[in-house]
Amino acid sequence: MAMSSASMLHRENDTAATLQHRSGAVSVSARNWGWRHADRAHAALSGLDLEIRAGERVLLAGPSGAGKSTLLYALAGVLDEDDETYSSGELLLDGAPATQGRGLVGLMQQDPETQVVQARVGDDVAFGAENLSIPPAQIQRRIIEALDAVGLDVPLDHPTSALSGGQKQRLALAGILAMGPGLVLLDEPTANLDPDGVLEVRDAVLAALDSTGATLLIVEHRLEAWAQHMDRVIVLEPGGGIAHDGTPGELFAPGPVRGKLIAAGVWVPGYTPAFDPLPPPEQPGALLLEATDLAVTRKRGARPAASGLALRLGAGEAWCVRGANGSGKSTFALTLGGLLPPGSGTVLATGELAAGAEARPYHWRATELVGRIGSVFQEPEHQFVTNTVAEELAYGPRHAVKPGTREPLFTEQEISSRVESLLSRLRLGHLAEANPFTLSGGEKRRLSVATVLAAGPQVLILDEPTFGQDANTWRELALLLREELARGTAIIAVTHDADFARALGAHEFVLASPATADGTAPTDARPGLLEADVRGGTSFLGRANPLAKLAAVALATIPLVASMDWVSSGIVVAATILALPLAGLSIPRFLARGWPLLLAALFGAWGTALVGNDSGAVLLDLGLFTITQGSLAAGAATGMRAFAVAIPAVLVLFTTDPTDLANALAQKARLPHRFVLGALAGMRLLGLLIEEWTTLGMARRARGVGSRGSAAARLRANLGQVFGLLVQAIRRASRLAVTMEAKGFGTAERTWLRASSYGRRDAGIVAAGLLLGVAATWAALALGTWNLVWS
Amino acid sequence: MGITHQPAGHKTATTSWRVVDIVIAAVIAVSSGVIFWAWNSTHHLLDVLFLAFPPSAALVSGMWLFPAVLGALIIRKPGAALFCELVAAMVSALMGSEFGLTVLASGLIQGLGAEVVFAAFRYRTFNLPVALLAGAGAGLFGSVNDTFIFRWFPEYTTGMLLAYIAFMTISGIVIAGLLSFLGTRALAKTGALGALASRKAATEPILG
Repeated sequence: MAMSSASMLHRENDTAATLQHRSGAVSVSARNWGWRHADRAHAALSGLDLEIRAGERVLLAGPSGAGKSTLLYALAGVLDEDDETYSSGELLLDGAPATQGRGLVGLMQQDPETQVVQARVGDDVAFGAENLSIPPAQIQRRIIEALDAVGLDVPLDHPTSALSGGQKQRLALAGILAMGPGLVLLDEPTANLDPDGVLEVRDAVLAALDSTGATLLIVEHRLEAWAQHMDRVIVLEPGGGIAHDGTPGELFAPGPVRGKLIAAGVWVPGYTPAFDPLPPPEQPGALLLEATDLAVTRKRGARPAASGLALRLGAGEAWCVRGANGSGKSTFALTLGGLLPPGSGTVLATGELAAGAEARPYHWRATELVGRIGSVFQEPEHQFVTNTVAEELAYGPRHAVKPGTREPLFTEQEISSRVESLLSRLRLGHLAEANPFTLSGGEKRRLSVATVLAAGPQVLILDEPTFGQDANTWRELALLLREELARGTAIIAVTHDADFARALGAHEFVLASPATADGTAPTDARPGLLEADVRGGTSFLGRANPLAKLAAVALATIPLVASMDWVSSGIVVAATILALPLAGLSIPRFLARGWPLLLAALFGAWGTALVGNDSGAVLLDLGLFTITQGSLAAGAATGMRAFAVAIPAVLVLFTTDPTDLANALAQKARLPHRFVLGALAGMRLLGLLIEEWTTLGMARRARGVGSRGSAAARLRANLGQVFGLLVQAIRRASRLAVTMEAKGFGTAERTWLRASSYGRRDAGIVAAGLLLGVAATWAALALGTWNLVWS
Repeated sequence: MGITHQPAGHKTATTSWRVVDIVIAAVIAVSSGVIFWAWNSTHHLLDVLFLAFPPSAALVSGMWLFPAVLGALIIRKPGAALFCELVAAMVSALMGSEFGLTVLASGLIQGLGAEVVFAAFRYRTFNLPVALLAGAGAGLFGSVNDTFIFRWFPEYTTGMLLAYIAFMTISGIVIAGLLSFLGTRALAKTGALGALASRKAATEPILG
């Protein structure tokens, strides 16, 4: 890695506003334009006629399925045309087809995780500018200006994985600004953020537009924060053209248009679905669950996310859990839900809820849990475990058991009547045979709540149930939960949505803000799984070119592959151990990372000693197998060789940052950069997927999928979880690809902010590798142990 | 107002890789690399099952071969099998592998074994027989590499080496071929493959 980005990227004396697009703001026009996606039967948009002047700020609204995102993607030039897509009419940017608008347009999507391409802040801002082949010196200036413009004050080598959601969105915006676009497209940029994050991102967007003058087109569900800052609102008609077009004042003023928008589920400013206050319960409900002096944490032994928590939850009560980012709200909810063990303190179910099972929910089997406490996760897809909507609803009740037994809780008849009633209550009847993953966002949300309700839990816990939902889904959710409250179900909702809490008549449970100096959420700034260790990165080898290290290891490995003898292997092992200080490694730190390799070598040695050709004295007789002097020697050689093959690579992995490896592969080894950088972006998603694996495990337990039990049950549960993870991985990758393409990625030429260098140090490393290989071969030949494996 | 439905693209998207193909292939490969890494450190626990006849351990070697077939079935572009297997190997090497850098050579050869099968069908057929053949190809190439090129088992007799090749080929057919084929169809049903050429994999004939 080596280069210190901060010292390299000092501000230069240049007063030109480099962020401004050279041709200024861009105009948009659509003429009878339409588009049908390859995997859909109906057109997303058709017959669209639209003129947007350069510099206008336009809010794009409409019910879900009206093609808002499709229009943004088409303008960003990221809709792929192939044999199965259909388009009609024209879509123009400044009079030229939108497909040729590379560099004119910047696009930001909803999911903060897939808006980031690179591992470090500075590199990520530079990514789009590099793709546009802007000279590195100019990119350096733009990085500073763009981060300034969005108010993101972090070091350039700060890991992007340690940013909060709102910070990631501002980083994405900085990357867009660094490209100098004349049109900025935002697709629900704040749907996944809490209210503070929404304002943070909105203010950054408005400030950036003030300084660049670019045209803005934004799609949002929640219009409140944005409407007053827009010049114009355009409402799209599902499957057709424009329903309404006017200033925010005209469209949102009381009148028939406002009424129509509300009916279509649009969150017009100043509107919330109204509910009568719930009647106070005639008598306080029985106590169900009690948390006492509770500290919550996701990792055993880690600092608790929140502590000193106490809650008494009674039947028919609603609680809304609030608090800043990082205050441990979700962790608290997971602990109450029996999905995480308490860090300290207790969560105990009363006799009323436990009904014969033991009192600690975390110790219940998944099948005991589903009938008592239901947890609804923020991402509905995490909880889908079957192939059809009807099966999905039947899954919980079918697997629920009576406490402490394996007897089913419901009869077959009860199950089908529960499924039928939920299908009609949630208007999902026509989708009974559909695959849950293929539903719309609102349908998925309703289904995920219904699947958890299906097993009839007395306690329902929901994490941000209203994020990204339109007003109609919001209203239906509130109605459903009010019905549950009336039946005596207790509800805990982690939500920032004060209106939603009011609709449920919820008590407030406020978690204290995490105490940090700068007021931001404390984040784990440790490097990702594949990133070089901090100490390794600054060592002698850490500053070398990754290709030189790989070449040296390969050269030293050749004699090991060729010969099975303990001399050449021993020499390579010894040389590697002597080289540990060059990688900034001590023996204990090396063992901490390399012990599985040692173990594998021992296994190999043991196997050979058992089955190898017996000769010499018998040392151990195990009946079928014997260990003899001859087989033991062969085993030692096998083990030493396996160890020698494995450990030099540890020097490389401990000191090599994947970003530097990718830069070297693309710049020095001349591999196609599209594939190298694509693979690098895939690696960055890895840390995210590992987190998602843990979340999936909990989400599936909340559905009654047991990960405790027989080996076969575990295998089945694990395979299901792998599949769930693969679905999420591919969805994330698709969105990341859109981000990369919108940032101009994929063309033949690009510039590189970080030049990969190859110097004398690197030549020396390759020479050392060669020398080691030759020395090992020579020593083995000289001592007569050379034993060519092919002979 | 009518919409004139006409094919939009003149791009022939059959052989060239788009950005979305590259990134999804990379994510499949990287996830597989982590599975390799986990498998590298746990598969020795199964060794006890194969003590009676050590070459039979190759029956679970398909775990190292599946990214080649899965990647090609999902991405459907020339080089997908090779790319996925190679990147998976690279990731497991970066995370620390008992095979050191030789894992890159193994990945290349195993990926090639699957790639030649898909190439022989000119990257047009991705049905069950082709998937099984590709799994067999990866297993065959991989096992010949283990037994006769890298010579990981100098203590084996020729008979044992040939048995190893047979077992690993069978493992490739079942774990890499069959499971990848079923996995691709299941993924297609969720709509997750909507951006890819395999988006209709679930409704294509299994044998046709």
